[in-house]
Amino acid sequence: MNESEPVVEPIAPKPWYRKELVLFIATSLVIALALVLVSMALYASSGAAQLDLSRPGYKSVQSELDQSDNFEGFPATGAVNKDTLDKFQQLYDKQTKLVTDTDVFSPSVLDDSALGLDDVTASNQ
Amino acid sequence: MKSIVLSVIGLTVSGVLLGVMPAFAQSEMMTDQHIARIKTNCEVARATLGQIHANDAPAYINRNQTYFSVSDKLMARLNSRLAFSRYNTTDLVKTASDYSDTLAKFRTAYKSYDDLMSDAVHTDCIREPVGFYDKVASVRDARQNVHDLAVQLTNLISQYHDQVQAFESKNFSSTGGKS
Repeated sequence: MNESEPVVEPIAPKPWYRKELVLFIATSLVIALALVLVSMALYASSGAAQLDLSRPGYKSVQSELDQSDNFEGFPATGAVNKDTLDKFQQLYDKQTKLVTDTDVFSPSVLDDSALGLDDVTASNQ
Repeated sequence: MKSIVLSVIGLTVSGVLLGVMPAFAQSEMMTDQHIARIKTNCEVARATLGQIHANDAPAYINRNQTYFSVSDKLMARLNSRLAFSRYNTTDLVKTASDYSDTLAKFRTAYKSYDDLMSDAVHTDCIREPVGFYDKVASVRDARQNVHDLAVQLTNLISQYHDQVQAFESKNFSSTGGKS
């Protein structure tokens, strides 16, 4: 036997599961990514994002949230008489008092002058 | 085939022009001094917008919750109770239905406003003063829409209140009604 000849090592066969395992992990990652994209799209399009104060920038206003939603409402069954309707009116007035101010979301806070974006030269003319 | 391709190109060009023209018209009207003023003040304006945006969120959440409870826990339940007792509730049902529709519009309008506001707050106003100014104008319009819908909801709340009072005086004025 010639000693200068390279010794050919026998190649060990790859485990049968290696290709399948890589494919499985890659497919799982693709599916997970797709599900995350779908859920983010739903989160943004459904209006859930507007109700989420855990988003960055909203921590300072979390305390303004009314956490006590213990309003039972008006019973859907029972007799109908003057007392019942009076009680309903009391409940109704108490609950709606929270939302009957009409200056909410007033656009005047976004006026050019309020934001300092108005054209001073035009207004002086 | 050729005419279809030409029509598609024509529609695309006119669509692009219609989209660009208002902004172009507005930016053309703006003077250099106005643009300079926007550049000078826009960082402060952006901070103010960010604060308004942050303060709007709890206001919207609290209102949305109360608006929904009025519809779900008051109007719907009284209507159901009156209908079960075989009273004519056509007006009350109509108002409750209008209220629900307006509440859905209010939510959609707020979402649109919130998206526009986020876009405006994240605009680089030093590099794009005119674009920033146009976005603020869009936000203002969207906020006006939200405000109008909140006023409509308030009016419907009052309307329902008056209708319940009218119903009570009609059916239970002096003698008791059916129970």
